[in-house]
Amino acid sequence: MATTTLTPAASAYRSGLYEWITTTDHKKIGILYVINSFLFFFIGGLLALGVRTELAQPGLQVLTNEGLYNQLFTMHGTVMIFLFIIPMLAGFGNYVVPLQIGAPDMAFPRINALSFWMLPLGGILLLMGFVTGGAASAGWTSYSPLAQDRVGQAVNDAAGTGQDLWIMALVLIGTSSILGAVNFLVTIFKMRAPGMTLFRMPILVWTVLVTSVLVLMATPVITSALIMLFIDRNYGGHFFDPVSGGNAILWQNVFWFYSHPAVYVMVLPAMGMISEILPVFSRKPLFGYKAFVFATAGIGALGFSVWAHHMFTTGSVYLPFFSLMTFLIAVPTGVKMFNWIFTLFRGKLTFSTPLLFALGFLSMFLIGGINGAFSAAVPVDFALHDTYWVVAHLHYVLFGGSVFGVMAGLYYWFPKMTGRMLGEGLGKVQFVLMFVGFNLTFFPMHQLGLAGMPRRIADYAANAGWNDLNLVATVGGFIIASSMIPLLWNIFISLRAGKIAGDDPWEANTLEWATSSPPPPYNFDHLPEIRSERPLFDLRHGRAGTH
Amino acid sequence: MSSTPGSRPSTTAIIGWLIAAAVLVAIVVLVALNAQSVWTSFFPPEAKSVQGQEIRNLYDIVFAIAVVIFVVVEGLIIWTVIRYRRKPGDDELPAQTHGNNLAEAIWTIVPTIIVIFLFVISWQSLNKIETVSATPDLKVRVVAGQFQWSFEYLPADADAKSKPIFTVNAPLGPDGGLVLPAGQTTHLYLHSLDVIHAFYVPQFLFKRDVVPNTDAVHDNQFDLAIPASGAGQTYRGQCAELCGVGHRIMVFEVHALAPADFQAWYDKQSAAASATPPPAPSGGQAGPPVNVTAQGVKFLEATLTAPAAGFTFHLDNKDAGTPHDLDVLDAGGAKVFDSKEFPGPAVRDLPVPALPAGTYKFECSIHPTLMFGTLTVQ
Repeated sequence: MATTTLTPAASAYRSGLYEWITTTDHKKIGILYVINSFLFFFIGGLLALGVRTELAQPGLQVLTNEGLYNQLFTMHGTVMIFLFIIPMLAGFGNYVVPLQIGAPDMAFPRINALSFWMLPLGGILLLMGFVTGGAASAGWTSYSPLAQDRVGQAVNDAAGTGQDLWIMALVLIGTSSILGAVNFLVTIFKMRAPGMTLFRMPILVWTVLVTSVLVLMATPVITSALIMLFIDRNYGGHFFDPVSGGNAILWQNVFWFYSHPAVYVMVLPAMGMISEILPVFSRKPLFGYKAFVFATAGIGALGFSVWAHHMFTTGSVYLPFFSLMTFLIAVPTGVKMFNWIFTLFRGKLTFSTPLLFALGFLSMFLIGGINGAFSAAVPVDFALHDTYWVVAHLHYVLFGGSVFGVMAGLYYWFPKMTGRMLGEGLGKVQFVLMFVGFNLTFFPMHQLGLAGMPRRIADYAANAGWNDLNLVATVGGFIIASSMIPLLWNIFISLRAGKIAGDDPWEANTLEWATSSPPPPYNFDHLPEIRSERPLFDLRHGRAGTH
Repeated sequence: MSSTPGSRPSTTAIIGWLIAAAVLVAIVVLVALNAQSVWTSFFPPEAKSVQGQEIRNLYDIVFAIAVVIFVVVEGLIIWTVIRYRRKPGDDELPAQTHGNNLAEAIWTIVPTIIVIFLFVISWQSLNKIETVSATPDLKVRVVAGQFQWSFEYLPADADAKSKPIFTVNAPLGPDGGLVLPAGQTTHLYLHSLDVIHAFYVPQFLFKRDVVPNTDAVHDNQFDLAIPASGAGQTYRGQCAELCGVGHRIMVFEVHALAPADFQAWYDKQSAAASATPPPAPSGGQAGPPVNVTAQGVKFLEATLTAPAAGFTFHLDNKDAGTPHDLDVLDAGGAKVFDSKEFPGPAVRDLPVPALPAGTYKFECSIHPTLMFGTLTVQ
């Protein structure tokens, strides 16, 4: 597909930069997504280090301007969610999904390029707030009326353009997500290779499919909410401001109607990546493939009925319903956990870096699932809501889950993307640093939350008993940051002199390993016969391994 | 070319595992040295309200179940990973198990039963916590605004919109805070003047959002009962919902008094409120005015100059519903002039006695981190 445009403009084509900017090849776009997401990961990480540095000790040491502190955690959350995790997973999906279903490209290559290029634009727009009088500072949730621009309420600190830039950036990024979701759905439904039935699709494709449905149903809701907030702020709309007859809780309902499913957007594809990696490195098929597919669909469906568990303390939601649904969503999640463990069970495990990060996902996401169940018990949530317990919980899900999944995926697919292996030694160093740093940072936050430390405060009383745990968390944060050094060094030297990967360095199961590394623009010269969800395994071992 | 890292994993990997082992040992030693405090850190503080005790009981059950699930599943992961590692030279394919209907049914049904059990017990305890007495002993409206709390004591037949008998404007200290009778039930209304705040007292294990509404009838309300044993205790509270730059300073105190002490305090407050207010400018010839304006929880003046012979602060509080005061502190931090707070919009004249010449700090004692400046007395 991408090869059809080789016209006389060959000199321009040869220019590397021009080729990358104008490419419609899903693999190049996927790599662009990954690079762009990593850049924002580092920005978001620096913002987090600012927060952690201020909290290391009681008193205001670094961010004596508390408005700036609020900007840091607001932008940290926004950047990490909207410009790192979601696009990073979309990037892996972009690269891997067409290959895994035996397609030559995405269904709409130009729309694919458009979806990507909206992201750096949105990101720049968002960060412009820092140089136009203050970035958004009402939290990544931007609850109204705090996020309103109200006369005489300069203390809101949301009066500047930062909040408007935040809205515009999120509308752009949301539009990018919607276009991407349509593209994924059409690609998955219409472009599968002969023999690739729905129940022979790799699990990653299934999770991207369910994720795309979630994006398509939820993102338009927040996009319209964002536009309403923009009208509220700039044209005297009265949607979310009670002073003029609006409803402050309405914003929370529409915001979380998107943002809770967005949690699954941020974790389902990572689950899919883990489900590709665990079977390969234990040399067994995924245990309970169909149950896993149904559990994924179940999480997606239930994910639309739990948004108000972020609002238990508002006094404005019907508590028992949302409590029950939140508890129930633990069931399909638990099914997946056991499927993964029993994939390892009686396998023959090779502890390559992708498996280490996948095991990190398993053991940390387990904690993120269990500490989430505490908040499903509404009265317990009355104690824990908006404390550091919640910060611990969401990072065990989104860092312990998604980020470890992303790292596993990076080590796993880097050879396919570049033709070279990442170094195992540096990979293991990175894993150990990240695993230790992650737990030092976020585990003490459970105890801080129980001890009553609220989120989003720049300072705390020296006699509150929170000093030691905060210091540990800050040290952990810097250990996480240091784990980026072996990663970057590893990428740098592996690109130059890494071991040549070959087509299939991992003895993997799925179609992307049936072509060269990196694959040609059209992906496949020929495809193996697809008779199960593991066509390459069948090719190696015949039908020995199947029922 | 130098050798690739992949070809010599041992040295770097060993360093990595050594770091991990060192951290693990350090954690184990630290935990062992502080076993008692580490254990209690996994629980909320001892509950000091009747509703909080209900929440604590529920927490303990959820915690016990969570620990069992964590140990079993995490143990299973670790055991599986250690037990089924691939031995060098073992190229034989393991058994290709695709699933097991019985096992999958078990790990679907058992967790379903567990979560439904958790739902039922948490629903039951929710119903107890949400129970509202038809005849509470006291009704108080908690008013939250950027960035302070005030407490309006309401008549016995009050609803969400009733006028208070008296108001406690200062959120902290012996003369401020939410004063409640121990051993009795108080019905609280939560009213916001601006953005969303949250009323949170960690030792009550409870928070509820203070949501601005178009009509106060929609304001959140709930019952709070401090057991009789709490008499004489003070509990720290804090805003738990991000409300702007001053979010972290939005702290308050809850003072629980024995019923007799509470009644004495209550009578004194209501008597003071019903007494005719003193004429605003006290007649003293206190000297020339010094204008100070409070707006947006800031003093518009960063520096003031005043004569040593005495002067009068002309304090213009433009913040609707937000109380401010104006105190003067000497270089040592001692309060040399103390005034009573009042909510805006209002203007008060505060006569200041003669002060020795020098440099002083002036501040609003309710918002000392946001509202302060330098006063030069000549």
